[in-house]
This record gives sequence, C-alpha cells and structure tokens, in this order.
Amino acid sequence: MKRPLAIGLGCLLLLAVSSAGADDADKAIQMAAERVAVGTCASCHGPQGHSYSPKFPVLAGQHASYLVVQLQAFRAQTRGDADALGYMWGMSAPLDDAMMAALADYYAKQAPRAGPIEEPALLARGKDIYQSGDSGQGVPPCAPCHGPGAAGTDAFPRLAGQHREYLIKQLGSFQSNMRNVAVMHGVALGLQRADIQAVAAYLQSLGQLP
Amino acid sequence: MQQTNRISRAWILQLLLSVAAAPQIAQAVPSFARQTGMACEACHTVFPELTHFGRMFKANAYTLDNLKQVRDIDAAKQELLSLANLPPLSVMIQISDTWLNSPLPDGTGGKGHSQTSTTGFPQQFSLFYAGKVAPHLGAMIQLTYANDSGTIGIDNTDLRFANNIVLPQETNLIYGISVNNNPTVQDLWNSTPAWGFPYSGSNAVVSPLAATQIDGALAQDVAGISAYVMWNDALYGEFGAYRSAKQGVTNPITGAAGPLDGTVSNVISGAAPYGRVAYEYQWRRHDLEVGLYGATFKLYPGGGSTGAPALLSGPANEFRDFAEDLQYQYIGDQHLLTIAATHIHESMRLDASFAAGTVTNPTDTLTTTRVIATYYFRRKWGGSISHFATTGSADGGLYPAGPAPGVITSANASPDTRGWIVEANYLPWLNTKLSLQYITYDQFNGGSANYDGFGRNASGNGSTYLLLWLAF
Repeated sequence: MKRPLAIGLGCLLLLAVSSAGADDADKAIQMAAERVAVGTCASCHGPQGHSYSPKFPVLAGQHASYLVVQLQAFRAQTRGDADALGYMWGMSAPLDDAMMAALADYYAKQAPRAGPIEEPALLARGKDIYQSGDSGQGVPPCAPCHGPGAAGTDAFPRLAGQHREYLIKQLGSFQSNMRNVAVMHGVALGLQRADIQAVAAYLQSLGQLP
Repeated sequence: MQQTNRISRAWILQLLLSVAAAPQIAQAVPSFARQTGMACEACHTVFPELTHFGRMFKANAYTLDNLKQVRDIDAAKQELLSLANLPPLSVMIQISDTWLNSPLPDGTGGKGHSQTSTTGFPQQFSLFYAGKVAPHLGAMIQLTYANDSGTIGIDNTDLRFANNIVLPQETNLIYGISVNNNPTVQDLWNSTPAWGFPYSGSNAVVSPLAATQIDGALAQDVAGISAYVMWNDALYGEFGAYRSAKQGVTNPITGAAGPLDGTVSNVISGAAPYGRVAYEYQWRRHDLEVGLYGATFKLYPGGGSTGAPALLSGPANEFRDFAEDLQYQYIGDQHLLTIAATHIHESMRLDASFAAGTVTNPTDTLTTTRVIATYYFRRKWGGSISHFATTGSADGGLYPAGPAPGVITSANASPDTRGWIVEANYLPWLNTKLSLQYITYDQFNGGSANYDGFGRNASGNGSTYLLLWLAF
C-alpha cells in the first residue's frame, strides 16, 4: 500500500514540477512577446495594437489563429501584397512558432475599439453589402463568415474597427491576386470601387459588437 | 599684425574647411535593409530622411535583424555572441557636376577665370559598416573618399548601445548610449544639422564664411558620448559631452597622434556639454516633432607656430548654441510631405581671440534659420524647396575684408547670408537618386552686390548641381 502511494505521490510531484516548468516557460515567452510587441511591433502597429497610420493594420483584438496564419505566411513569403514584402517578410523571419503564437496571443487579448466615422454617407451602402452582398454583381455577403458585427472567428479575421484605407488596399490586393487567397479573390472580384470604399468605411466605424 | 593676420587666416581656413565639409553628409545604408529584410521605405520616406520606424530602429542601436547568426551562450543562457553571417557592408557613390553662376577669378592671380563647371567622379565614395555588432550594440561607421581632399578619411560615425524595458501600462522605454563624432549625427530627426537638408551638396562651390559650431563646424573633429532615453515612442531626452578628436594631426615634438598642443586649431577645452529634448506626436498618417537642442563649446583658437605661439590654456572662446527644431511628416502611399525647420542661435564670448586681437568684438552672435518643404509622389518623383538665412553681428576678425581676389571675404564684416535651395529628384529605384539642385543667394557674407569689395555679387555664388547618388 505504501509503495503505490509513494509512486502516486511521486507522479503528482513530477506533474506539479513539470506543470510549473511549463507555466514558467509560458510566462517567459509571454513576457518576451510583450517586450517584442511593445518595443518593436508598436513602432508601426501602435500601442496595444492600435496603429496610428492606416498603412498598418489594427491588431488589437484580432484572432490569434488568424494572426499566426498571417505571420507564418509572411515568414514563408507566401503572402505577397506590397507591404507584406516591404515590411513583414523581414520582420517575421526571425520569429519561431512559439514567439508567433505568443505575439498573436498578446494582440488577441488587447481590447479592440471602433474606428472613426469618416464618410457617413457611405455607411448605409457599406452595411448593405456587408450584411447582404450584391447579388447583381455576384458579391456574397461578408457577415456569414466575418460575423454580423464583423468581430470575426477563429477562422476569419476581425474586421470591425480596422482602418478603412487598409481594408480598401487589402480588397484591392485580393482582387488582383497580389494577396493570393482564393476565397477572398472570388468574393472581392465583383466589388466595384465605390462599394469597396463603402464597406471599408462601414467596417472602420464598427465597434466591439458581439 | 602679420602674426595676427596669420592666426586669423588659419582660423578662417579651418572654419571654411569645416563649412565646406558640412554638406558632405549624404548617407543611405542598404546594409540595414539587408540586415532587417525590410525595404528602404520602412525606415525612410526617401533616403536619408527617416520614418518613425527608422527613428526607432536607430534608437534601438541598429540591432533589429533577420540574418542567420553565429551565436554563443553561457551556462545561464546569456548571449555571449550574436554575429550576422555576413558583415553589414554598403557602398555609396556620388557622381556630380556643378556649375557656378559666375566664374571665380583664376587662383594664380592672373586676370583669367577658373572653369565654371566641375565634374566630381566620384564626388564622394563611401564604405559603410552599418548594422548590428552584438545583441544590444550596433554601429554606423562611414569611411569616405572625397575628391576635394583626394584621400580616404573617417566620416560620420555612430556607435550605440541600447535596450528597452516595458513600463506599467505597456509603455516602452528605450535607453541607450551613443558614441559619435559629430554633434547631432546621433539625432533621430531630419530637422537637426547632421541629417538636415540639403542631404547632399556640391563641394565645388563657394561656401559662406559663417556657421554656428553645432551646424557641422566640428563634424568628424570631435568625439562625444551621450546617454539617451525615449519614452513611449514619443518623448526623447539626451545628454552628453564632446571632446576634440582631431584627425590627421600630430604632436610636433613626438610626431605621435597627440597630445594636442597650441599648433592645432579649435581645440575643445575640457568637455563640451550637449543636450537634446524632443517630443513626437503621431496621428493617422501624420507625425509632428518639436524639440530643443544645444551645446556649449569652449574652444582654444590654437593654430600657433614657432614665433607665434597660441597656448591651449588660459582664455578660450565660448560658443553657446541653443536651437529649436520642428519636423512634420505626412506619409501616404502616394503622397509624402515633409516640413522641417530649425533655428540655431549662437552666443560667442571670444575671450581668447579678442585678447589676441584676431576679432574686433569680445562678444558676437550668430543665428541660422532653415525651413524646408519636401514632397514626393510614390517615392519616385519629388522635390524640395528650402529657405536659409544666417545673420549675426559684424566682426572684421571673423568675417574679414581680406585681400584680392576676395570671394571668401566680406566687405562689411558681416556674416549675413540668405538664399534658397530648390531641388528636383527622381528615384527609378529606392536606392538610386538623381538630383538637380539649384542654390541662389540673395545675400552672401553681408552683401548682395559687390559683397567682397572686389566686384563679386551674391548671385554669382549660386550654383546648379546635378547628382547621381547610388547606394548598394
């Protein structure tokens, strides 16, 4: 009876030690990621992922799984839009998988917020396209994938509060296949310039909706 | 009187050489791009003007990298070595042609004229070591061959240590140390002298007599160490000191590189304090910086020789430079606009020179103002317009009438100089720049017409400068 008890206690102790070790490692990588995010990424993506310039996307509140996929695509040099080449191919190259996951986790935890309403006249049309699409142009609605409030899911990025100019540029990149994502190429292909501007203005104005 | 004139001329020659050297600060360093894997546009609007990210890269000691490293660690996993597989080397070459508005008198004393145009091939050729040295240590070291000196010499150099800590509320604090050889070369904005417009200028033109000390007069002639902090990517503070670090100078007795003695000109007495504060505010695609910088240099005029001693002790000339600067940037995908300005005020207390009789006033003042606007379309086509003005108290010792043929003299002992620079640029690629620059003077060394007393007009010193600038 004593022997199994000792073995059991030993196992528990080992589990506790290894769990503490894993916790320490997790904490260490989280702290390292916070330092990278605050010390390096923030130069473009802003404090806590709220970038000032619309050249750089807002990362606050973005889904971790989406961020990891993007970082991996930058590192593999498979995401080929202009700013990805110029900035993120280099930035992502030294990041290992653990750091990518920790950085993604850091930004996913930051509180998102709504962007400014810059073109109120476009919001209604933007909302219409986002929620219902434009069957005449062969444009499906965005909401089924990105969520009714554009908060996104693990598989689809959050769009609410994203910079209007950034969204316009990305939709253009999907259309031209410069950013080669088959689904989004098909979705964006039928969007007219005015509609891209409308849906981007609408998405920027959205806040932290459910 | 003859000795006085000789000392004065040596002093002026030193000043002129410094001022003439000042425009040769052109730099662009592709090894940074190779090291980071990022395009030039990440750090530059158009080289060498920095973006906010470029400023942070510099503040972080040029250490961001994505290259494969040779590493070593100790038992505690502390990094002992992190060295890029390839050295961060770059080459820069400038080829130019310069046309002066009016030809200069023939230097042989004949009645003819020199040629009006000068071809520089190269005007300047530089080799850079620019990149990470160790985990928190980086360097930007420039060696330059210039066609006027015909020799290779040390150019702008900035060695840095930097680290960052995350403060409560996730604000970033960068702290670092810079060791450099040109006051303001360590600065992060393009509104201060070392990195200010014009980013390149001809070395085959006539330069005005007057420039403040912090405005390039001591470039590559000093060594400074300064400590700096940058809080939250916004608030910058720096304090340091400079000492003389002469190049190409030897002790006349030993023939060794020092100690300096009274045969050397413009030697700093002790250490010259340097300070800088700046605040940068970003919103949307806009970026605004306002700041102050300054230094106090106590210089021994020196320049003595046997029979005309000038000791590096006793009274010195004190130059108190205090400056304000401002920079605004709009960085769009299509349109880029920069407005930069600086205003430098210098108070001189010339105890040494006044006692020696080489200046006419015990105190003088000098003020330089520059305002620059630059526009680029898609970083490909662009141009700048700049107004510059230097005004100050008249002093027949500092700005002498001088003998024939004039040109680098002032008939009324005034330093007042003002004019415009207009520049057009085309960049077929981000590391290749073609420039056409025109400088016009409304006033030069105190006058517009016959400023030198020998019939030369300020407008005659205007120039047209065509430049091909490659960095790779």
